[in-house]
Amino acid sequence: MTLSQADFNFVSTLVRREASIVLAPGKEYLVEARLIPVARAVGAANVAEFLADLQRRPNPQHQRKIIDALTTNETSFFRDREPFSALTDVVLPELIKSRASVRKLRFWSAASSSGQEAFSLAITLQENLPAGWSYEIMGTDISTAMVERATKGEYSQVEVNRGLAATQLVQYFERAGAHWRVIPALRRNVTFKHMSLTAPFPPMQPFDVIFLRNVLIYFDVATKRQVLQNAAKILRPDGLLFLGAAETTIGIDDNYERVAAGRTSAYRTRNAVAAGAARRG
Amino acid sequence: MTPMRAMVIDDSRAMRMILKRIVTKLNFEAVEAGDGQEAMDRLAELTEVPELALIDWNMPNMNGLEFVTKVRADPRLREMTLVMVTTESEQSQIVRALAAGAHEYVIKPFTEGAMIEKLALLGLVPTGANS
Amino acid sequence: MSVEVEVNESDLAEMVEQVWESYLDPEGISPLIPTYDENQPSEVHSSVSITGSWSGHVVFASSLAAAQRAAAAFLAMELDEVSEDDISDTLGELANIVGGNVKAMLPSGAQLSLPQVVLAPESSARYPNATRISGVYGIWEEEPVSISMWHSSADHKEEGE
Repeated sequence: MTLSQADFNFVSTLVRREASIVLAPGKEYLVEARLIPVARAVGAANVAEFLADLQRRPNPQHQRKIIDALTTNETSFFRDREPFSALTDVVLPELIKSRASVRKLRFWSAASSSGQEAFSLAITLQENLPAGWSYEIMGTDISTAMVERATKGEYSQVEVNRGLAATQLVQYFERAGAHWRVIPALRRNVTFKHMSLTAPFPPMQPFDVIFLRNVLIYFDVATKRQVLQNAAKILRPDGLLFLGAAETTIGIDDNYERVAAGRTSAYRTRNAVAAGAARRG
Repeated sequence: MTPMRAMVIDDSRAMRMILKRIVTKLNFEAVEAGDGQEAMDRLAELTEVPELALIDWNMPNMNGLEFVTKVRADPRLREMTLVMVTTESEQSQIVRALAAGAHEYVIKPFTEGAMIEKLALLGLVPTGANS
Repeated sequence: MSVEVEVNESDLAEMVEQVWESYLDPEGISPLIPTYDENQPSEVHSSVSITGSWSGHVVFASSLAAAQRAAAAFLAMELDEVSEDDISDTLGELANIVGGNVKAMLPSGAQLSLPQVVLAPESSARYPNATRISGVYGIWEEEPVSISMWHSSADHKEEGE
């Protein structure tokens, strides 16, 4: 059963209004697939019935479930691997030199979803920082359900099968019933907070590295630009922004320049921004 | 160029079929065995040592842990990459297997994507082979 | 310690879901839809026994049609290519996988038997001194499928074998 145009429009309008997400036409099948479990969870016979009901009687909780279902990113540990290899091979060695006087790093996993990216960053730092160094990782997401889940730091067997080396699994996780839970020593360096990227950013200390991967794709160009501008303000002058494999700032925000990072690319703010210039491109 | 070989060792024919299908997709030539002893016998016959072995834990005659231990003690079989594929998932079991010389560990049930990623982690997947 | 504390119904449901995600429904379009009907009929079943620190069984039961579909999905075959051996082997491995995951949550020292496959309804099986303590009952591709856990109340020793 395919989603009707009217239903698709209803959902599109809802998520655009509530989360600034733009659903491209042609994504009806994806929307439907994501909403089937939501419809089932609330006892509706199918997605059409669920949406018909919602249009008759607005229900903030059900609306929230729709937004959560559509903003949830497929994520896994060490997803795409290359950015993490770039950290290990190139970025961290440089930061270890340039931050030698503070011996502390701050990373941000923006749109952290269920938390695997943030914990992958934590493992990478844990494995590569010399003794005496500390790190803080902030994970933020628009979905409170995801923030709760990431905060628990518990993953299913199927989830820990992906992306983690077996040695990492036994070193950084412990069994908790049917699940695997991040160990306290790793957990304590990661904080998850609810945050909407499309609203003004709350005050945050600057970051050495920002992972903003596979989330800009949901936004229109103006919103993308706004998010990138806001991110630039809290990225250290020599800090790096990592986007998703198929994403770029080029054509959207020329306050960034692309730099090679291992086998992939990352983005750094141009000196004009770093110097606090008011000019915006 | 000679294709790489993967040995699939599990007492479940159904599971062997799944594993064979995956490694064949990755351009390995598959060889199977129903238990550790059968696998050792096959290895003795083969002139070329398989690059990879996917090994169940619980099998009759010789279980996966014993097989791993024997392989790691045999200089001729040094180059084999050993991956456990099993439902045994207690932390201590995984540690034991890694200590005995297994290079990686996949817990059943596993998705095809997860298995391919594990093999990629071990450098056994030609780039572009995984979808 | 009661096993209900160690392996509750939602743990079992999650294990079943992971088996579907991994082997029977990798694209996420054909899940097992709960019916909560403990008495739904079956035509074939497979089981593993757990002994040692805990005694009981894990049973997979379904219609023959569901078993055929499971084999076709598991082995990446067309339905009409599936042999009786394929069905048998698949049912056995499914019981083994769920049983193995259940065992992993029990106190150390539990052991799993080899799977038994019976091409007869689950209701024909007799598990002496055992009660069904938990189960996932549902419909998959319009066919009944259930996975249940049985606990043996008296620790009876396996003689011989």
